[in-house]
Amino acid sequence: MSDYAKPIPTPSEDSQPYWEAARNHELKLQQCAACSAFRFPPAAVCSECTSDAYEWKPVSGKARVFSFVIYHRAYHPGFKEELPYVVAVIELDEGPRMLSNVIGCKPEEVRCDMPVEVAFEDITDEMTLPKFRPA
Amino acid sequence: MASLKDKYAIVGVGHSALGKVPELSDYGLQVMAVKAALDDAGLTKNDVDAVITHSHLLGAVRVHHQNLSERLGIDTAFGVSLSAGGATSCLMVQVAAAAIEAGFCKTVLCVHGDKGATRKTPGRGEGGGEFGPEYGLYGAAGQHAFGLTRHMHEYGTTHDHMGAIAVACRKHAQLNPVAAMQADMTLEDYHNSRWIVWPFHLFDCCLRSDGAAAVIVTSAERARDMKQKPVHVMGMGRANNSRGYIHGDHMTELGAKESGAHAFAMAGLTPKDIDTAQIYDCFTYILMATLEDYGFCKKGEGGPFVSGGRIELGGELPTNTSGGMLSECYIEGMLQIVEGVRQLRGECGPRQVKDAETAIISGNGGNAVCHSTLILRN
Ligand SMILES: [Zn+2]
Repeated sequence: MSDYAKPIPTPSEDSQPYWEAARNHELKLQQCAACSAFRFPPAAVCSECTSDAYEWKPVSGKARVFSFVIYHRAYHPGFKEELPYVVAVIELDEGPRMLSNVIGCKPEEVRCDMPVEVAFEDITDEMTLPKFRPA
Repeated sequence: MASLKDKYAIVGVGHSALGKVPELSDYGLQVMAVKAALDDAGLTKNDVDAVITHSHLLGAVRVHHQNLSERLGIDTAFGVSLSAGGATSCLMVQVAAAAIEAGFCKTVLCVHGDKGATRKTPGRGEGGGEFGPEYGLYGAAGQHAFGLTRHMHEYGTTHDHMGAIAVACRKHAQLNPVAAMQADMTLEDYHNSRWIVWPFHLFDCCLRSDGAAAVIVTSAERARDMKQKPVHVMGMGRANNSRGYIHGDHMTELGAKESGAHAFAMAGLTPKDIDTAQIYDCFTYILMATLEDYGFCKKGEGGPFVSGGRIELGGELPTNTSGGMLSECYIEGMLQIVEGVRQLRGECGPRQVKDAETAIISGNGGNAVCHSTLILRN
């Protein structure tokens, strides 16, 4: 897998636990200890109530496609062979939205509000990307 | 605080050569724009005591108002570089008015522009990051396109609607000798242009250009004795959807809604009172969504609204009469202000909106998060 040609995420202090969970094929988000809101992207305080108390909690991995686009042009050489590919705004059942790819169907089959579920793709020995496939 | 309505005016506008200008540096383009604006205003550099720029140029050691002022050979009472992406254009005029109101300075140069076409920029996708590049999200087109996909889903908006915008801008560019894109474009040409990031065709995307523009702001009182008939700032608005473009309904309801409401309230006008619109058209979709959010039509009705020639010269709301960023030149919204001012002075020749008295100008940036609005009158 060392010949992986696409960008590899560079975790921050905030996101390290997220990527560690993904490595174990778990989708985990921070849940606020004060108001129970889940948040994404990872941050030191809650985006609803600014509390800094939280726990990393597994979420269901169930989601819908809020919106999506289909790349017909590779802005990075690593994506050239994958054209056309889908980048989607995924809305998790727990509330937060995140960017990801929709895999496991043709780009032209993707629709807004389509139900999807998480699927983990190991891209290197250390890094796994959460992606989404039709549920 | 008392309203600033009509208290400040734009007294000079200008731009550098536009399009491909390999012989000039970024600051070379900017100083040429300043020269043109000073000439237009009948002022010299020593009549200006403040410089506001856009802090867009990356890698500069010093902030940009310093670099530009150094090249112009002026010390300033007030200088600042702003960073609100494409919303910076109209925001500069607002900060200028606020700074004069606060007594910081008297006459302000607002400047932006760079070598978007011929500078060798570092390749995209290099360096770190997360939650985007690893999934192949690159460039402004992908981000903005999410909004059109969702708008199509919720409201039935079509590519014919987007094509109407692209074609209108092209027709206007053909009446503007400095516009880059002079070739005919039909709706069919639009549909046949290649996909960049679906749902955006090539012709949904603005140009990459070299160029800079400058706008001079001073008090209406000072403006009275100047060379040009002053163009007054009636309304100012700004708002940021800074929880994120993908948050809530932000991708279909831009910061334009709140920004436009502020500007209309300050001006005491409604959309019916506007004679011409110069809208930030980084992508066709953003122009349509901005017109909806400003209240020219209901949310979701932007597609039919922009169709049938309504936004073309001779239509109900002539929009982007210079060709806009889709067909004239980019410069992150600066030329929208320049065109609005020229329309209100009646200088636009074959593309003049007859008896134009009011114009609305928009800036939209930070990948469709930040928004700013001006309403101008003559
Ligand atoms: Zn909370």
